Amino acid sequence: MSVDKIKAPPSVMERFREANSTFPKSPEILSAKKQGQSVMGWVCTYVPEELLHAAGALPVRISGYARETDLQDGTAYFYVNNCSFARSCLQLGLRGEYEYLDGFVAGSTCDAARRLFDLWRNYVPMPFSHVMTVPRKYSERAHDLYFTQVLELKTGLEAHLGVEITNDALMKSIALHNESRSLLRALNDLRKLDEPPINGSQTMEVLNASSRMPKESFNDCLRGLLRDLERSKLRHKGKARIMIAGSALNNAEFIQSIERIGGLVVTDELCTGTRYWADPVAVDDHQEPLKAIARRYLNNFPCARMYPSDERFQRMLQLIREFRVEGVISQTIRYCSPYSNDLPLLSDLLSRNGTPMLSLDVEYGTSGSGQILTRVQAFLEMLEARRK
Amino acid sequence: MTITAKAPDRIDAILRACRLMLRMNRASPDARKSEVLYYQMLIDYCTQLATARQNGKFIAAHTVFFPSEIFYAMDIVPLHPETTSWMTALFLGQYADLLAAGAEQGLGSEICSPHRGLAGALSIGALPHPNAVLWSNMVCDNTAKCGELLMKITGSPGFLLDRPFQRSEEEMKYFVEELRDMVAFLEAQSGLKMDWGKLSETVHQMDEQIELFREINRLREAVPSPFSPQGFLELVTVDYLFPGRPEATEYLRTLRDELAAAVAEHIGAVPKERYRLMTLFMPPMYLIGFLEKLLREYGAVSTTEPFFCNWGEGRLDPDKPLESVARKSYMLPEAHMFGPMSKKAVGEIVESAKRYKVDGAIYYADVGCRHTCAVIKLFKDALSDVDVPVLTIDCDVVDPTVISEEEIREKLERFFELMDDRR
Repeated sequence: MSVDKIKAPPSVMERFREANSTFPKSPEILSAKKQGQSVMGWVCTYVPEELLHAAGALPVRISGYARETDLQDGTAYFYVNNCSFARSCLQLGLRGEYEYLDGFVAGSTCDAARRLFDLWRNYVPMPFSHVMTVPRKYSERAHDLYFTQVLELKTGLEAHLGVEITNDALMKSIALHNESRSLLRALNDLRKLDEPPINGSQTMEVLNASSRMPKESFNDCLRGLLRDLERSKLRHKGKARIMIAGSALNNAEFIQSIERIGGLVVTDELCTGTRYWADPVAVDDHQEPLKAIARRYLNNFPCARMYPSDERFQRMLQLIREFRVEGVISQTIRYCSPYSNDLPLLSDLLSRNGTPMLSLDVEYGTSGSGQILTRVQAFLEMLEARRK
Repeated sequence: MTITAKAPDRIDAILRACRLMLRMNRASPDARKSEVLYYQMLIDYCTQLATARQNGKFIAAHTVFFPSEIFYAMDIVPLHPETTSWMTALFLGQYADLLAAGAEQGLGSEICSPHRGLAGALSIGALPHPNAVLWSNMVCDNTAKCGELLMKITGSPGFLLDRPFQRSEEEMKYFVEELRDMVAFLEAQSGLKMDWGKLSETVHQMDEQIELFREINRLREAVPSPFSPQGFLELVTVDYLFPGRPEATEYLRTLRDELAAAVAEHIGAVPKERYRLMTLFMPPMYLIGFLEKLLREYGAVSTTEPFFCNWGEGRLDPDKPLESVARKSYMLPEAHMFGPMSKKAVGEIVESAKRYKVDGAIYYADVGCRHTCAVIKLFKDALSDVDVPVLTIDCDVVDPTVISEEEIREKLERFFELMDDRR
């Protein structure tokens, strides 16, 4: 891919980049805080953002350093055998980078998230901290249980913030977040084109910003970006159309390093990507909004933690078809147990589907260099040869 | 089904080792009677497994802390691959081939060795072939995620028992219904029917066993401590493999009486008790004999293991057997570990340190266990507040390539010196 082709579309991308480069202390977050708004940190896509928003708080997704860095503090508290995403998040917390937070909400989604909550609660005390039980199944019973957890969070927020979270506020939040999802879908639909106007690393920058800015201004910016892209003559080509799958990923440079050597990243199966925005909250006249929120979050494009894994695998196959994916790059953060356990099954499934997969062991924040890049290069060459 | 090679069934080898231990115990005038009962139970467990097929029994493989009471009440033979794998390391010193077989199944080093090993063991036929695979999300992501691969390896149907993370009324109700579904699954797969009367009796026995565990723990507060330096592993195994079994009740009663007699006569487990220790998490299985000898040599004894021996409050009700099985899951000593690590949970460790008058704690940091290692600092800080030093030993519960006897000896000797200096 030539250099001019990886140039970003103009203007509005800078807003997203600013939100990311200054994160966690992004100007918009600090400004909201200064104006008296509560800021609630959340970890994992099973925590309903709408509820935090409807309580009048600014929801901010907790993430770590989106670059390679020493995790000395995080490792000292977490031990070296825990995933570097959690260590990275904790280190930022320990160093006061999230000092503006009024609360921390997590889900019992994986070992790392659970322990991040335990350590955060102990070493980075917050006025409000809450952990939700998240069932591993999709049964009606599991939905009923998860709803009680959402209700409990709502009650906790109301008591802590001294507000009433009304159905009206929830409906407005749902509309706002659904709009965001709809705009992100429109953005991602552009990537289905043979030569998309936006590439994978740029999309990752947009996605990172999506949970680091107030949704209202994010949606405005994203609408602007979509308008820019409509007018843009810029087109991205590559040797092969790639899906990125696996553990949490925030570093756009990792994707950029793949794109620099000819991969065209067209879609992903990441909690920081498609899994975050894929499904809207479906509201109808007969269902109270809180129930609709709870149903969406447990039924959302699943994480590897859920059972059966086939739900996730079928969604991946659907993306592979829709985006005409030629190869999957699975990046598993070391010690990410849910994704590691699924790898043998996923590998078998993709093999039967005729989709080659490259499996990489990475650390969170890795930028994709050295041996990783060599392996990606060989994978792309293999895919290119298959094209011919 | 992806069985790649046939290996001799490890159950036979474990059986031979247990029989040898039993003979040695019977021949020794100093051996505890409870120890004889313990080995007899292991022999019976393995014999039942080894002969299950020829006796037409249904075998259910299950993950750790699984409510085996259900299996016993249904006349189903439980196979605890994790514990049987530990026994492989403990009695036979063999584990490398199981880990290699697990790696061959595609499991990376991110997966802890017991889970790699159990997938490996089932894939090479080192354990009896199960008729069903049951797993739960108790403990960690590995237990929650191992089932589907085990189903694929064995070609057997499976069931995930989804146990909620916390313990609200709604979560208990959910778990009871999960247990009910599990019973229905087992009935459908095995053609056997749940004997609810038998489950009530099992719960009744379990309730008595928990009371006995508590009594034994109280007796271990005595100075000198009456129980052998690594004796707690017997208690752990008894609950893992024989919950609610009458023979386990007999073992615990016998042990309780032996310890009570020793306490009354001020007889310690080691000749001259010098160091009272808290054990945090599981020591390497392949070094248990060595550790027992080393601790005896230095007059050290593990007096408390909060995550293996401190049962939560409450009693079980035989009239509500399924609810009791659910409640027991939250009373398990290990449940303190796989639930939220609240201030209360950390406080209980500190309380144990005081109650058992410990001089120091040993933290066996299993390099494959992210769940337990993530709280090392939390526990160290809490114990430091009450002046209890903590020795962290990086190890692996079954893989001997991580740490050697010599390294552990050196670390422990230095720790004993440190405790001497502090006096």
